Amino acid sequence: MAITLHWVIALGILVQIAMGLAMAHLSIPIHLKFQLYQLHKSIGITVLFAVALRVLWRLTHRPPALPEAMPVLERRAAAGTHFLLYFFMLAMPLTGWALVSVSPYNIPTVLYGLIPWPDLPILSTLSDKHAADAVMTFIHSWLAYILIGVFALHAAAALRHHFWLRDDTLRRMFWRLPRRP
Amino acid sequence: MKSALAFLALATIAAGPAMAAGWTMQPAKSSLGFSGVQTGTPFTGQFTQWSAQISYDPANPAAASVKITINTASAKTGDSQRDTAMPDGDWFDSAAFPQAVFQSTGFTPQGGDKFVTNGTLTIRGVTQKLALPFTLDVSGNQAVAKGQITLLRTAYGVGQGDWSTGDWVALNAGVNFTLTATK
Repeated sequence: MAITLHWVIALGILVQIAMGLAMAHLSIPIHLKFQLYQLHKSIGITVLFAVALRVLWRLTHRPPALPEAMPVLERRAAAGTHFLLYFFMLAMPLTGWALVSVSPYNIPTVLYGLIPWPDLPILSTLSDKHAADAVMTFIHSWLAYILIGVFALHAAAALRHHFWLRDDTLRRMFWRLPRRP
Repeated sequence: MKSALAFLALATIAAGPAMAAGWTMQPAKSSLGFSGVQTGTPFTGQFTQWSAQISYDPANPAAASVKITINTASAKTGDSQRDTAMPDGDWFDSAAFPQAVFQSTGFTPQGGDKFVTNGTLTIRGVTQKLALPFTLDVSGNQAVAKGQITLLRTAYGVGQGDWSTGDWVALNAGVNFTLTATK
């Protein structure tokens, strides 16, 4: 369960980052851009649900122990990075939801074109939405840039464990891969 | 009781000549559609709830009159996002303005089955003059009027705030109707 959620969320984050960068920086035909925004919202809320489930799981289950050989400093770095990742996993969809709610366009969110999704209260009825929109856009995009860095750090550490330290840290994230002897 | 019946009989007789010019809309054979362009992509929709009061005597088209009342919350395009947005404050604001009304008097013959009727269209409480061209075919007790017109949505405040430009949704919107009525 924890492993599946990990990869579902990881894939979600990658797709959202790629989509977000494309939406913000590429000149895409306007109808495609509109659809991209709708899909970004749908996936974002889906990830939010997966994260909520994961946080519940994490709070009720003890995670596997870190490799015994890990120095204290690295343990702290890993714990810090994991904490940051949890923070971003929640902060990205929540700030995105807030951003949608303060949008002066007042476009209703319909997940995957099927499921109506509400705006956040208060934010959706602000009198001057343009200022709030600018603030939320700034926060959401800068959090995204920082998340790219934290995400890369986490992936790099996993690869270091696998290829350099040659321990089971990455292998045990793949369900039934045999452990290294 | 007797006097009530007598009154009814009198009222019916009195209403006779006016009734001759009165037509009853046939909802099943009538439709009120609209079209627009969102992010360069055309879409069409229908108002599912509307009604028409028509008075028309072929011998005296100048005395004809029409009142069409449209339930603005009944606009449907089949896209739930758009259909949720349309009754909202930025568009029809159906909570404040539940009805749009077209009202006109006089059918001006334009040759053949073509007519124009001059009246006013009120959307979102904004009333504008409107000359509506249409065709009219009367056969026996049934009359079929068809027409279409292009409206500038912003003339009626449809599309507030950031929507008042044509960046995402074109400023021109088409309206088309088929109105079938029987005598």
